Amino acid sequence: MPGFDFSNHNRNLALHAKGVPLPKATSTGTTIVGCLYDGGVVIAADTRATSGPIVADKNCEKLHYISPQIWCAGAGTAADTEFTTALISSNLELHALSTGRKPRVVTVMTMLKQHLFRYQGHIGAYLVVAGCDPTGAHLFTVHAHGSTDKLPYVTMGSGSLAAMSVFETQWKRDMTRDEAVKLCADAIQAGIFNDLGSGSNVDVCVITPEKTQLMRNYITPNVREKKMRDYKFQRGTTAWLDERVVKREEVRKYVVVEEVEGAVDRAVGERMEVDQ
Amino acid sequence: MALRIVPAAGHPAYTEAAIGAPSAPGVHDTLRANLSLTTPAPKAAGANAHATTASFHPLESRLSQWRAQQESLKMEMLRRQFGVAEPVKRQMELSIVRAGEWQPACLTGGFGGSAPGSGNLHADILSGRDCEIGWEDVFTGEEMRDQVDFHVEMETRFGMNW
Repeated sequence: MPGFDFSNHNRNLALHAKGVPLPKATSTGTTIVGCLYDGGVVIAADTRATSGPIVADKNCEKLHYISPQIWCAGAGTAADTEFTTALISSNLELHALSTGRKPRVVTVMTMLKQHLFRYQGHIGAYLVVAGCDPTGAHLFTVHAHGSTDKLPYVTMGSGSLAAMSVFETQWKRDMTRDEAVKLCADAIQAGIFNDLGSGSNVDVCVITPEKTQLMRNYITPNVREKKMRDYKFQRGTTAWLDERVVKREEVRKYVVVEEVEGAVDRAVGERMEVDQ
Repeated sequence: MALRIVPAAGHPAYTEAAIGAPSAPGVHDTLRANLSLTTPAPKAAGANAHATTASFHPLESRLSQWRAQQESLKMEMLRRQFGVAEPVKRQMELSIVRAGEWQPACLTGGFGGSAPGSGNLHADILSGRDCEIGWEDVFTGEEMRDQVDFHVEMETRFGMNW
């Protein structure tokens, strides 16, 4: 069968019935936000990738390219967000070439929700889609089961509550670009500091009808501190008793060349041992 | 005919009463049916029209029937709107195109373009997926199959394997 392969499903069920524990689903913590402003849209994300209690990547990129004016922030299973956005990006390019127009954000949103609905949430991609097209700036969220939202400011991921509290208290209508960027960065920092699944740096992407500006590591609030003490040994710490320097030209002096016996007895060392 | 958007669930919604032993109706006859109560017996007279899939994962039957379900929904809506001539015409065009175009297997081809990645552009256009790419187009499920040589394929097609 083309596409996804389910051939191991029955085996896994049988193993589970015999007491083998199924692999636990890893919750992937993330904070992603988006905010419309007067003349464009901003999306932002943290950069921590977790696999269970372990930080898998301290500076991963959660802002995905869809088209030059449409970008996507992804929470959920990292591989699923990566490949789903790549697939939709390809489909959107084919669609744009077929219609001969600039792609629209609603098209991306519809493609994503139809694709994700078909897989019933088994593709764990929770996305914030933002972009500018001829109809204006748009901001959507797409959940893994295929439901979508259209709001002036959105948050997703495990840090969405912390980020949403910032938006709910500080958001106002008709913000400028700098205000929107600051608000999004503040919301992500709220997620970074209050949610254990989110951390490290802030990535911001500002999309206007003219251009897209991706600001990777816009804020780095968690720079690694220099260690208070240095544990490297100074050169010359260990004392030595004798010193002898051998130059490369003199190496030949230490090589002993032995003549090997004739061709008959060449394999003498490998001859089988026989009891006499 | 119902206008279903998504395929029906893969599991059977009812069990055939006839599966039971003839001498004791209602009792499950393991010899005539099989060990599993959930799967219908092999002799259950075609009551289950679904494609049988290898696993019981709920997603598998859904995905395997997805495109056929969308196609039948489209054809049913065309039939209701324009009469039966419209879906008949489309099906005829599609089958003509599928029969007429062939691409060698070494160029990811095949006969009859219903399979994804078969490279039948005409069938793709008629079925409305000429500007669309999915997982099925990349992971065709035939990555492990031996590549058939072009000459071998042509010799087989024209009955030249004396």
